Amino acid sequence: MKANKLLHSEYIVPALFLLLAYIAWQFSGFTGSFVGNQVLTRFIRDGILVLSLIIPVVAGLGLNFAITVGAMAMQTSLLLVINYQAEGIRGILLVIVIGVLLSVLLGFAIGHALNRVKGKEMITTIIIGFLGNSIYQLIFLVGFGTFIPVINQEIILSRGIGVRNTVDLGMYRNTIDKLWLLNLGGLEIPLFMILLVLLFAGFVYYLLHTRLGQEIKAVGLDSGRSALVGINVDALRVKVMIISTVLAALGQLIYLQNIGMFDVYTAHMNTGIISCAALLAGGASIKSARIRHAIIGVFLFHTLFIVSPQAGQNLFNNAALGEYFRSFIAYGTIAFALIINIKNENKQAKQGIS
Amino acid sequence: MTKLLEIKNLNKSYDGIPALNDVNLSIAPGQIHGLVGANGSGKSTLMNILFGSPVIHETGGYQGDIFFQGQRISLLNCAEAIAKGIGMVHQEFALIPDMTIGENIKLGRENTYHLTDRLFGRKYSLINRSQDYQSAAPVLQRMGINLELGIKILNLSTNIKQFVEIAREIARSDLQLLLLDEPTAVLNQSDAHKLMEILTEMAAAGIGILFVSHRLEEIQHICDTVTVLRDGKKVSQYEKADITINSLARDMIGHLVSKANAKKREPMLQPVITFHNFSVKMPGEEIKDLNLNIFEGEILGLTSLSGHGKLALGYGMMGLYPAAGMVTYENAGLSKMEARSNILKGMYVLPDDRQDLGILPEHSLEDNIIFTGNQIKNMFARNPAWGFLGFIDRKKAKQHVSQMIDDFDIKCSSSKQRVRELSGGNQQKVCLARALTVNPRLLFVAEPTRGIDISAKEKILQMLIDINRSVKTTIVIASSELDELKRVCDRIAIIVEGKLFKVLSPDSSDLEFGLALSGEEGAACAEL
Repeated sequence: MKANKLLHSEYIVPALFLLLAYIAWQFSGFTGSFVGNQVLTRFIRDGILVLSLIIPVVAGLGLNFAITVGAMAMQTSLLLVINYQAEGIRGILLVIVIGVLLSVLLGFAIGHALNRVKGKEMITTIIIGFLGNSIYQLIFLVGFGTFIPVINQEIILSRGIGVRNTVDLGMYRNTIDKLWLLNLGGLEIPLFMILLVLLFAGFVYYLLHTRLGQEIKAVGLDSGRSALVGINVDALRVKVMIISTVLAALGQLIYLQNIGMFDVYTAHMNTGIISCAALLAGGASIKSARIRHAIIGVFLFHTLFIVSPQAGQNLFNNAALGEYFRSFIAYGTIAFALIINIKNENKQAKQGIS
Repeated sequence: MTKLLEIKNLNKSYDGIPALNDVNLSIAPGQIHGLVGANGSGKSTLMNILFGSPVIHETGGYQGDIFFQGQRISLLNCAEAIAKGIGMVHQEFALIPDMTIGENIKLGRENTYHLTDRLFGRKYSLINRSQDYQSAAPVLQRMGINLELGIKILNLSTNIKQFVEIAREIARSDLQLLLLDEPTAVLNQSDAHKLMEILTEMAAAGIGILFVSHRLEEIQHICDTVTVLRDGKKVSQYEKADITINSLARDMIGHLVSKANAKKREPMLQPVITFHNFSVKMPGEEIKDLNLNIFEGEILGLTSLSGHGKLALGYGMMGLYPAAGMVTYENAGLSKMEARSNILKGMYVLPDDRQDLGILPEHSLEDNIIFTGNQIKNMFARNPAWGFLGFIDRKKAKQHVSQMIDDFDIKCSSSKQRVRELSGGNQQKVCLARALTVNPRLLFVAEPTRGIDISAKEKILQMLIDINRSVKTTIVIASSELDELKRVCDRIAIIVEGKLFKVLSPDSSDLEFGLALSGEEGAACAEL
């Protein structure tokens, strides 16, 4: 009975991940501090992106794969500001302002689109993500140097049209990353960045405990009845998408500045999948997500993500296998978590009948 | 006195079918205005318009004027209605099942901390849950309910849910007008009485109340004025002194209701199905070790207090809940309880939960009626040889459905109309039509008249009698309406705590039934 309960609790997925991560770590031969450092870095890079998924899940919209759109909004802003050569803190602030404005607009548009496809939000966000990607690529491959005037020649391909594959973020690198750096044995802890991610976690937590948050929960649980008690469901869903897209945009900024380089055409590509997988790994489902799921999920998922390629290589003596392992883990997590969660929910629903 | 609400020449139609026709109505502050009418008379439409339900707007709005506190209003959604001080108690409960009692009562007007109010504004301010609960608790206590406010709604019984639903509206300080849609339908008499007291108190405090109920005694007891609607028109209006149940019933129906009554006949003795130590694990309605014979051709009533198991028999037969024990049907043992094979053997169950289990709300009348016949017995295939790959013979289906619509007098715009749009009584008729399509030998019906107005009720009871007499279908009716069972059944089985307690003849006295229902001679505490 007890084992059965565990199997059907939200802990089954994280527990499985913990086990897998531990086994893979054993085979990888990495030292604990190496993995620890790597995971901390990933936590900082991906933390806010994963957090941006929570509110749409609570609002009943499912996993918002369209956070890639927020990521692209921020990248667009970044490229524009680099083009105009605004540097330092002033530049970063400008990037944030433009990126946030852009993602508010895009979030608004996505929210309205989702109001037309109620019940099929997840697949719609996936397609919106793809669509956004192709528009984004079009703009930067063709638009730069044609209808967008080029000021900073460094980021342009030699033919004069289109942005280079990789843009250096040297002028923003290490502005905040190395603040309050703690050294504990072999472990480097960027305290400021961790606190920054936790600050965002606190922000999401706070938002969910406001009156707005209460409305979001109500709509997520039962949108029809929520409308009857005076909640404007459609407007609320738009707000939720705006919040999520803006958070994703800010998350992408943290991600890019931490890496210090910026793959113009691919940096955002896996944002949606990886973040969703991390959230699910922490025990969230497409119907319920909490802050702890995001935080636990990022740690577990990225631990496995870091150690599994090496483990695969050590086990099978094949370097190419590593990358397969990664995508296997990302998609495997999503598929597994989706199936397990839906099974659990059906079970609960059945018990609910009386 | 100035009017709180004034409705002038209100007209509303759905796709050209009029639902409300020139309705005038007014409510003064502190007045309780009753609204009665058969199902489909336009009561719900009127309530929807007053509460700003989006359905109205989506289907083309309405004509006429509504004045609230002297101002002409036109509401686009419920939020606007609530902002104006209009509240509504919904028949289907506007409660979020996964939220707690306290959260539901305060939803949309939570108490917040002053500090965050000042910093971020009310909407983005942190909720003060303990203060929420503190302010919600007295409201429930006023209704005599002492419950932990942290309990989730889904764990509550229906009558407590009803009180929470009402508490949500009472807890509002800005409430001016309260719309109540069948608030007593799920309550027992003492709870209904309690509710009446609360409403009277609210009216005394100056709140206008529009009260919809099928229970005419309540209307007579509590209302200052009553409006009777029939087919979307206002037929009559009575002041307190002139309200009589008979005149209300006559105005509602347009004629006097003839009550369905089955003729007494010789007892049948050939069992069609025998239950031996039959148990069904249905949470809250369990039956344990039931031993019961059902005779060929009879109408058997099955009754119990709520929670004692009258509903579980049918659900158990369809395999919706785990069942155990021995069942002999037509002299052969039934090995498993599964809907498909049992329907093929000639059994059919109509569940009490019509909305969730009885109808396919988004499908057409036609699809609903032929569904079981088509899916299980392949009765409407163009060429049965194709099995489940075959096309549906729409012509045959249509013919059958129009026959059923005529026979059962189902009120609909066409056989293509979605069943969700029909009234409760007509939905029940659709269910019966679907059951009859497969021509069952044994029909289980649960609560066939729940939530249906008096005239449709009698029609459905009469239909059950007719089916029994004409096609010789054996019928088991599980119902809590003893009066109806006594009129229709040949025998009435009383179930107490999941076991067969007694089988009474319908002629037995009310006292005998009362004693049997409570389980023992004299000891009437089984319910508690």
